[in-house]
Amino acid sequence: MLGLSGYEISLITSMGIAVIFALSLNLITGFCGQISLGHAAFYGIGAYTSAMLTKAGMPFGVGLLGAVIVAGLIGIFIGIASLRVRHDFLAITTMGVGFLFIGIMRQWDLVGGEMGVSSIPGSGLGKSGFMFLVLGFGVLTVLFSLHLKRSWMGYAFDAIADDEDTARVVGLNVSHYKLAAFAMGTALAGLAGALYAHNVRFIDPESFGFVESITVLSMVVIGGIGSVFGVVFAAAVLSVLPLWIQFIDEYKLLLYGGLLFAMMRFSPGGLAGLVKQILRHISSRKSLQKLSGGTKI
Amino acid sequence: MSKLLEVSNVRVQFGGVVAVDDVSFSLNEGELLGFIGPNGAGKTTMMRAITGVVTPTSGSIVLDDKELVGLAVHSRVRMGLGFSQQLVKPFRNMTVLENVTLTAGSRHTRSPLGALFKVDRERDRTRAKELLELVGIVDAADADPSNLPLGYLKRLEVARALALDPTLLLLDEPLAGLNHAEAHKLADMIVDLNSAGRSIILIEHNLGEVMRICSRLVVQDNGNKIADGDPESVMNTPAVRAAYLGEDMDNAAA
Amino acid sequence: MLYVELLAQGLVQGSIYALVAVGLTLVYGLLRILHVAHAGLFTLGGYIGVLVTNATGSLLLALVVSMLVVGLLGMAIYRLCYQPILDKPPYVALIASIGLFIAMEEIYRIAFGPYGISYQNPPLQDVVYIFGITLRLGEVAVGVGTLVLIGALALFSTKTRFGTVWRATVTDPKMAESFGVDIIKVRYLNFFIGSALAAVAGVMVALLNNLVEPTMGSVPSYKALAIIVLGGLGDVRGTLIAALALGVIEAYGTIYLGNYLDRDAIAFAFLILVLMVRPQGLLGRA
Repeated sequence: MLGLSGYEISLITSMGIAVIFALSLNLITGFCGQISLGHAAFYGIGAYTSAMLTKAGMPFGVGLLGAVIVAGLIGIFIGIASLRVRHDFLAITTMGVGFLFIGIMRQWDLVGGEMGVSSIPGSGLGKSGFMFLVLGFGVLTVLFSLHLKRSWMGYAFDAIADDEDTARVVGLNVSHYKLAAFAMGTALAGLAGALYAHNVRFIDPESFGFVESITVLSMVVIGGIGSVFGVVFAAAVLSVLPLWIQFIDEYKLLLYGGLLFAMMRFSPGGLAGLVKQILRHISSRKSLQKLSGGTKI
Repeated sequence: MSKLLEVSNVRVQFGGVVAVDDVSFSLNEGELLGFIGPNGAGKTTMMRAITGVVTPTSGSIVLDDKELVGLAVHSRVRMGLGFSQQLVKPFRNMTVLENVTLTAGSRHTRSPLGALFKVDRERDRTRAKELLELVGIVDAADADPSNLPLGYLKRLEVARALALDPTLLLLDEPLAGLNHAEAHKLADMIVDLNSAGRSIILIEHNLGEVMRICSRLVVQDNGNKIADGDPESVMNTPAVRAAYLGEDMDNAAA
Repeated sequence: MLYVELLAQGLVQGSIYALVAVGLTLVYGLLRILHVAHAGLFTLGGYIGVLVTNATGSLLLALVVSMLVVGLLGMAIYRLCYQPILDKPPYVALIASIGLFIAMEEIYRIAFGPYGISYQNPPLQDVVYIFGITLRLGEVAVGVGTLVLIGALALFSTKTRFGTVWRATVTDPKMAESFGVDIIKVRYLNFFIGSALAAVAGVMVALLNNLVEPTMGSVPSYKALAIIVLGGLGDVRGTLIAALALGVIEAYGTIYLGNYLDRDAIAFAFLILVLMVRPQGLLGRA
């Protein structure tokens, strides 16, 4: 079908899942400005939920839905808890959530403990059918992200990401907005996790550890915090790069670490920021001219 | 005349320090009230008690027959309190116009879920532009606030508060840091707003402008209210003269 | 006797956490940066300790070299990595630091191999009996060493003029600056002292496990972050107490909760629990 080899299909599928997962974190970190270092936990919650539901005989669709709901609900719960702590603490509490998740999964016999869950039922759509499903969800996620950015919710997120205190002064219920970001971001991560589980058919706690959380954060940061297309691009490239080139797989973490550091040190806006900087450079010249022409104070 | 704001026996204490001690005053609808006092008099603390950044140890603050104490900052704003802060804090990831449009459309952002389903900004943008026109900075509408001089940012702060269409506008030192001509212009604008029916409390250091534009003054010193009345008689009160002696009298005369 | 033994083990572990966390809290107090890469320096300290000991046979020399090299490297990291991005939003430095840490771990893996290195003749392995419990000499050294170092630091910061300035600056950098303190100098000092302490911790962990691995810093790094939060960010005294408390809680927790949670999860469960009750940290003021 389409002349794609099985290998290419699986590459595209992984890419699509990575895009959904990265965009889910982008809702929280990119749009709303809340750093999460434990996002893989929600990916894992989605994966485990759907795996267990389908293994218990539920249809694939129910598995997906269950993953979204459970991940989102736990996300809201964690969100409510996180709202209590100071700004600086959020990164650390979310990191703690990540470790806690792994810790619990390792010891919990019902979900296989260290051994994880194997022979997870497939989607029943076939390899290419599943790929299209993933791509469909990917496109929907992109469209949703773009809509959100244009909506008044995205507008309010911009304000909160820049300055929480001032956001309150202009009448925004900052806590509610942050919770909304958490709920949407974690529910979507749950969806990505469920798709992952049915794609690889085997999950264990290690698949959702700190490295995974950092990987997805890298995608968001390198693509450009808050930029939908930047994040899509970075997620697509970074997810398949290690699969394509064995050499890169060996040094994957060095690459991620180096890129994270270099991006922040030299271009905190990520790839999208670089592009924007160039565009702004051109247009700001014009607007400065306009301003200095008509300034009267 | 009906009372719009009623501050009764408000006391604010930080550890052992009493910043505001049992202060009461009120604001009538349509009034332009100057709230003044020397440095360290606790004016800003009083202001923060009204806005909700600081919680009073005791006392009550009633706006439009509704108690404000205990409510979060954003809830008070939703109840009709608009304020411009002493330190200008524009959102730096937005243009000047976007800063004002955001508050002009505050009815869209009451709840996150509602905000998700609203996209159109045209009407609010038009309204924001009118306000920028009103405060005289429409030429900088598309500028990045980081690059603007203080005179512009002070007026942006006022425009953003006005965009909420507040029943009570609190202005915390809007004239501070402006030169004489700028301050004069912004003060005139405040008078215009008041003439158009807006109730305003002006917290200011610039006595000259306050004396010129306010119809009534409340003076606070060392956390206590020391005078309340029309500008002439307030400034002739011995306590007020003593509080300001050697400080700002030149300004007052100017 | 189990209780006492667990307590001793917890305190030893807590001492290591303390040595690592003090550096983090110093950096946070001054720069408001969560310096994750600090744990990379801890690991490097361990490597240098083992390499120098194996080459010269002197643990003491290894300790000094490790402290010096790692301390200087800490200063270099401040100068080259953090100073240029101090005016950016806080997440920028945090993510840069995470990136740096991951890259450091990878460099160790590539340079020293994935399986780690050990002492040829592990020092301080003799067993001693104190208060009826059995401890290795290395464990005693960790406890005593920490006590001496922290004590010296406390003396320096309270009894000397420079120490007073230093303390004041970490507590309130802006205020200190307005009094004419050369804040840049204090930042360098912070990075030097904090990194050197982490190096000591690295050498000691290498001693206790007789192993230095590339990823040895991962767990302490995250735990040290949890500890400085518990200690009320930027508060050195709070950090020390939180570090020891966490060591002890883990020691008991592993025995009683081991079936439900592993050691790392216990630490973070404790963190999250405390933050729910006291969002400002164990000792922090609201």
